[in-house]
Amino acid sequence: MSQAALLVRGRVVDARGRPVAGARLMWHSAPVDLPDLAALSGADGGFVLTVPVTGPYRLACHSDANGQTIVDVSVAADGSQLTLHLPR
Amino acid sequence: MATTPKSTKSVKINLHAATSNEADEASAVVKRSVMKPPAEGLNPKTVKAVSDGSEAVPGFKLRAAAAELSAEAFKAPDTSKLSDIGEASFGPAAETVHGPDDRVRITATNTYPWRVHASLLITAADNSQWIGTGWFIGPRTLVTAGHVVYIKNSGVAGRDGWVRRIQVMPGRNGSTLPYGSVTATSFKSVTGWTGSGNAEYDYGVIILPTPLGNSTGWLGFGNFSDADLRASTGNISGYPGDKPSGTQWYDARRIASVSARKVYYDIDTAGGQSGSAVYRIASGNRYGFAVHAYGGGSTNSGTRINAQVYANLLAWKV
Repeated sequence: MSQAALLVRGRVVDARGRPVAGARLMWHSAPVDLPDLAALSGADGGFVLTVPVTGPYRLACHSDANGQTIVDVSVAADGSQLTLHLPR
Repeated sequence: MATTPKSTKSVKINLHAATSNEADEASAVVKRSVMKPPAEGLNPKTVKAVSDGSEAVPGFKLRAAAAELSAEAFKAPDTSKLSDIGEASFGPAAETVHGPDDRVRITATNTYPWRVHASLLITAADNSQWIGTGWFIGPRTLVTAGHVVYIKNSGVAGRDGWVRRIQVMPGRNGSTLPYGSVTATSFKSVTGWTGSGNAEYDYGVIILPTPLGNSTGWLGFGNFSDADLRASTGNISGYPGDKPSGTQWYDARRIASVSARKVYYDIDTAGGQSGSAVYRIASGNRYGFAVHAYGGGSTNSGTRINAQVYANLLAWKV
């Protein structure tokens, strides 16, 4: 079921809606094996991740200062867009 | 209309052909299974390993190999209810921490062997940043995953290719850098990864400008038989992103299965541990036998150090 890379774009924000830079993003679960890298959110809280297939994923986001969150992402053929809200 | 059949010539491509972001170099091919020994560096304060092949880490106990390491039994969906179409198509999502999280934190990262593992801050060609792990095999050489040094098939404009730089922090312990930090811009991998993006060739090295490995020491590495690997405890220590920033975490488990180019194991990992050594302890010495690369469903996996990988690591070791 391989296809062109699918992009998951998003932003990480804190409890006040401000962008969080340097948050660590990684796939907690996925329908296929994935590289065990972790991405860092940019200065604007933004990130772009790549997955190989559509389906249900679980994305984890960790920040030492702002806490952590895990969200379910259903990646479609045109990718996905989301905002991750950290608890602090 | 008759056509003259074209003669075809089969071209054998060497997917282990070494490639670099610097000048091309030929890879030496050695057809023998040998081990390169480890070195413990300066004032190592090494702790002896446990007899079960794992490290003696406070709070860690080697768990017995799980009986269900083969593919999970599939249960037919209950037809009296409608479940998420995504789950029916793709099955349960795969996690990289399997069952209870066995990982323990390593705080004595200024001692051997923990200091041979380095926290990596990777800057890709598009300036996006990532975290990974590498491990010393020589004074200036760290082994890591191919996808740590060369991004493939990202789908993001400007991201694919050799990464710009990697900040290497050996023995990092949170905000403490006992061996400082050095920025590397010299990397090597193989065409099986950089050209084909084949996960079975997902390995590479980072070459440092300074011989930091003389202080930290390094792991040995070897090409081991299937029988040796299946009988081994696999040890992994690295820098997972789901733990406090820059902390080193360790886990170990018996190896689940091997193939010609991959090793599969139920050792807990998380994003950020790409590139970690999967190593065994034999006669008190530590030898890497795979490069951790992928998180999966029932098992995680790494690129096996087979004869070709061994030959390349030997050629790249400086």
